Amino acid sequence: MPQLKIAAALAVAIILQLSLGGIWPPLSYIDFPLVVVVYIALQRHAWQALIVGTIAGLAIDAPSRGLIGAGGFSKTLTAYLIYIAATRVNLENPLLRIPVLAAATLIDSAIYFFWHRSLGYPPSMPFMQTMSYRLIGTTIVGTFALYLLDSLFTERARQRRTFASRRKGARRGPSTLRRR
Amino acid sequence: MAAIRTQKEIRQRAPIWLGILLLTNLVIMAVDARDSVTRQRMLRVWVQALVSPAQSLSSGASGASTNFFRQIVNFRQTAGENEKLKEDLATVQLDLRKAQQANVENERLKGLLNLKEQTGYDQVAARVIARDSSIWFNTITINRGSSSGLALNMPVVTGGGIVGRVIALSPWTAQVMMVTDEKAAAGAIVGQLSGSGALGSVRGLGNSGLLEMRYVSGLQNVEAGNYILTTGQDGIYPPGLNVGEVVQVKPGTATQPHQILIKPGAKLDQLEEVAVLLYRPPQRAAPEQALPNVDKTKK
Repeated sequence: MPQLKIAAALAVAIILQLSLGGIWPPLSYIDFPLVVVVYIALQRHAWQALIVGTIAGLAIDAPSRGLIGAGGFSKTLTAYLIYIAATRVNLENPLLRIPVLAAATLIDSAIYFFWHRSLGYPPSMPFMQTMSYRLIGTTIVGTFALYLLDSLFTERARQRRTFASRRKGARRGPSTLRRR
Repeated sequence: MAAIRTQKEIRQRAPIWLGILLLTNLVIMAVDARDSVTRQRMLRVWVQALVSPAQSLSSGASGASTNFFRQIVNFRQTAGENEKLKEDLATVQLDLRKAQQANVENERLKGLLNLKEQTGYDQVAARVIARDSSIWFNTITINRGSSSGLALNMPVVTGGGIVGRVIALSPWTAQVMMVTDEKAAAGAIVGQLSGSGALGSVRGLGNSGLLEMRYVSGLQNVEAGNYILTTGQDGIYPPGLNVGEVVQVKPGTATQPHQILIKPGAKLDQLEEVAVLLYRPPQRAAPEQALPNVDKTKK
């Protein structure tokens, strides 16, 4: 079941990435698949993060003029680095996820650019400018997206929601009776 | 205990997974990056063919959502008025917008039709369904492919001027590299083909949206406002197509060429419909065949 949820989140992220640029081009600076990859890596699901990284990268590479595989490579390596960091440092705090997202965007952009330069396919867009826009867009939107994914998927959030409604019911019950 | 062991195993095996996946991506990249001057890579053809339905769907979805947001904007604009006026105004605005859109579309299509009359080449009209998904390149995807008669390197144009050339094909879609891409180039001339000697090469300048014309002799008279046409010498674009208009000239000298910046004639940031010219450049005789003694030497 978690795999299905991950697949659904990834599919939505890829569709958003492919379609939002058509509505308003600056929206394409937000890397939705990378946010999903970072989220899974933060959950310390090693092989899932790696596979999702590869699939997300290849899915974005396919309709692009860039090298097929460059995005897959960069996202897979980014997923691994985030996973390694998450196993050594506690990144549960939502505030800590902001620099993690920013770092993931920087690493992903740098590796993607490196492979294109190395294999003779220099991107048309200037590196620093494009990376800066991606950094801003992905970090801001990604922070909220991570919170959304967290509240939808994790067991702890599900428990929090369940207990919140129980607490609410418990609080309401006796007081309501007393008033009546 | 078993769970801990499993976690440990996963952690130990993660580098192996990483290695395998990175190697897979590397192999794919290596195959994709293989030099293919004369023929297209099959990997790209099939991947693009698989992805094209999703792209068409997402293009349709984005169009629907754009319309949805427009409707919301219309509603907010007329919210302060009374109910009847609101309904009337909404109807009138909707009609007007439809008429304006029809008018704009009509102008664009007229431009494409005129283009056929001007150039004399057969053409295939196409709709832009996506822009480059990775944001690092200046390419667009159109909804016509090899099944519509398109081939690699065919020129793509609008009524305003050249847009780019076909660089990848699937049966139903084609990828077009725009003239503003740093790797794009075209042979061009300032002014009329027969009335000017200001020949040069036009290249893209990336995301600035402008083009640069190189190798124009500093002795030639070039001014801002001059228009640029293709010469046909590049073997991609037919001669006489509009490229754009000179916006800036840094004058050259007798030994240094001019530095010319050009604004493309086609509105590349607002492309919706384009035409692909079914143009195949004339075959050039190989240099050795033109030599007088070539047959003797072969024998």
